[in-house]
Amino acid sequence: MLLASRLRRRIAPLVRRLAALQAVAGLLLFSAGPLFAQEAGGGGSPVFSINPGLMIWTWVIFLLLLFVLRKWAWGPILGTLEAREKRIQEALEGAAREREEAGQLLEQQRQLLEGSRERAQQILAEGRKAAERLRSELLDEARAQKDQIVARAKDEIGRERDQALEVLRRETVDLSIAAAGRVLQKNLDAEDNRRLVEEYLERLALERGKVS
Amino acid sequence: MTGGISWFWGLLAQAAHGGGAEQDVSAAWNAHMLEEVADAHHFSVPFLGIEQDLPLWPPLHVGSLTVDLSPTKHVIWLLIAATLCALTMVWVARRTRARAAQRAPTGLANVIEAFVIYLRDEVAMRNIGKGGERYVPFVLTVFFFILFMNLLGLVPFGATATGNISVTAALALLSLLVIEIGGLLHLGPGRYLRTIVYVPEGLRWYMQIPMAIVMTPVEAMAKLARIFALAIRLFANMTAGHFVILALVGLIFIAGASAGSIKYVIWIGPVLMAVAIMLLEMFVALLQAYIFTMLTSVFIGLVRHPH
Repeated sequence: MLLASRLRRRIAPLVRRLAALQAVAGLLLFSAGPLFAQEAGGGGSPVFSINPGLMIWTWVIFLLLLFVLRKWAWGPILGTLEAREKRIQEALEGAAREREEAGQLLEQQRQLLEGSRERAQQILAEGRKAAERLRSELLDEARAQKDQIVARAKDEIGRERDQALEVLRRETVDLSIAAAGRVLQKNLDAEDNRRLVEEYLERLALERGKVS
Repeated sequence: MTGGISWFWGLLAQAAHGGGAEQDVSAAWNAHMLEEVADAHHFSVPFLGIEQDLPLWPPLHVGSLTVDLSPTKHVIWLLIAATLCALTMVWVARRTRARAAQRAPTGLANVIEAFVIYLRDEVAMRNIGKGGERYVPFVLTVFFFILFMNLLGLVPFGATATGNISVTAALALLSLLVIEIGGLLHLGPGRYLRTIVYVPEGLRWYMQIPMAIVMTPVEAMAKLARIFALAIRLFANMTAGHFVILALVGLIFIAGASAGSIKYVIWIGPVLMAVAIMLLEMFVALLQAYIFTMLTSVFIGLVRHPH
C-alpha cells in the first residue's frame, strides 16, 4: 500500500503532463484526420469517421450499465466493503479498548498486591510491636508480682518471727515464772512475781530495742 | 480481430497465383487491417460459425444531422462488454454479500474488490475530495466498462469498441457532462462561471478585464481539449495496438508471397513480436481504462476546487 501510494505520487504528475501533451498531439492528429482519410481512398477513413448513431448507442448502453451496476453491484459491494471496514475498525478499537482495560486491570491488581503486601508488612510490624509491648508488660507485671510476693513473704516472715518471739517470750515468761514459782513458792505471790518479771522483761526489751 | 485471417488466405492464394507480387499482398493486407479495426454492419465470429449481416435501419434526420441507429459490429461488442461487465459485477456483489458475514473474500471477488477499493479511495476520493462518494458508482462503471471493452479486443475474433472514435467520443462527452454539471451543482452558477471566465485575483479592474478576455477562451479551450484528449487517447491507444499486431501478422503473409526460401523461417520474428505486443496490449488495456477513469476524476476534482 505504501509502495502503491509512493508510485502514485510519482506517476500522477507525469500522467497529467503526458495528458496535456497527448491532448496537443491528439488535436494535431485529429485535424490531420481528413488528410489520412483522403489518402485511404476518398469517402473518409472508416477509422476516423464519427458515427452519431454509435455514440447514441454508447450512451444508452453506458447509462443502462450504470443503472444496473449501481443498483445490483456497486450498492451491495460498496455497502459490504463499508460494513467490513467498519467492523474491522470496530474490532481494532475494541481490541485497543480491551488492551487498555486489561492494562488498567493489571495496574489495579498490581496496586492491590502492593497494598496487601504493605498491609501484611504493617500487620507483621504491628504484631511484632504488640508482642514486644505484651512481653515487656508481662515482664513488668511479673517483676511487680515477684516484688509483691517477696514483700508479702518478708512481711509474713517478720510477722511470724514477731509472733514466734512473742510466743517464745510468753513461754519463757511462763517457764521462768514456773521455775521461779518453784523456787519462791512460799513467799511470793505468783501474781506479784509475774508482774515483777514482766516489768523486768519489758525493760530488757526496751534496752535491747535501744541497742538494736 | 484475427477473424479475417482465414478469409485472407484465400486472397493470398489468389495473389500468389496471379503473379505473386508482394505489393499486391501488402496492399490487400492494408485494406484488411482497416477492415478489422473499423466498424461494419456485419457481425462475424468465424470460430463459432457466426456470420450475420446486421439490419440496416432507415436513418433519422434531426435537423441537419443524420443519425443512423442501425446496429453495427461495435454496437454488438458494446453490448457484449456491458453484459459481461454486468454479469461479473452482479455475481461478485452476490458472492461478496453472501460471504461477507463469514469470511474474507477469495478469488475473483477478491480481485474485483481490490480494484473497487483502489478506485474508490485512490482515484475517486483522493482526486475529487470531500463529497466524492456520489461519483464512485460512475467512476467504477467507467473503469470496468472500458476495461471490458479493451480486453474483448484481445480475445480471438473479438473487437474493441474503444478502438472506435465514436465510442470514446461518446464516453468522453459523458465525462464532460458529469464534470461540468457536477461542478455547476457543487459551486453554484456564480462560482462555476468563474471557472470559464477566468478573473485573476489581486489585479486592478482595468487589468482584470483584458486578462479575462484573454484567458476565457484559453480556459474554455482547456475544458474541451482535455475531453478531446480523453477520447483520442483511448481510441488511439486501442487502435494502435491492433494495427501493430495486424501489421506484424501481415509481415508473415507478405513474406510468404515472396519467392525466396526465407519465407519458411520469416514467421518466427513476427510471431514472437506479436506475442510480446499482445502482452503489452493486455497491460495497455488496463492502463488506458485506468487513465481514462483517473483523468475523469482529476477533472471532476479540478472543477470542484477551482484555482
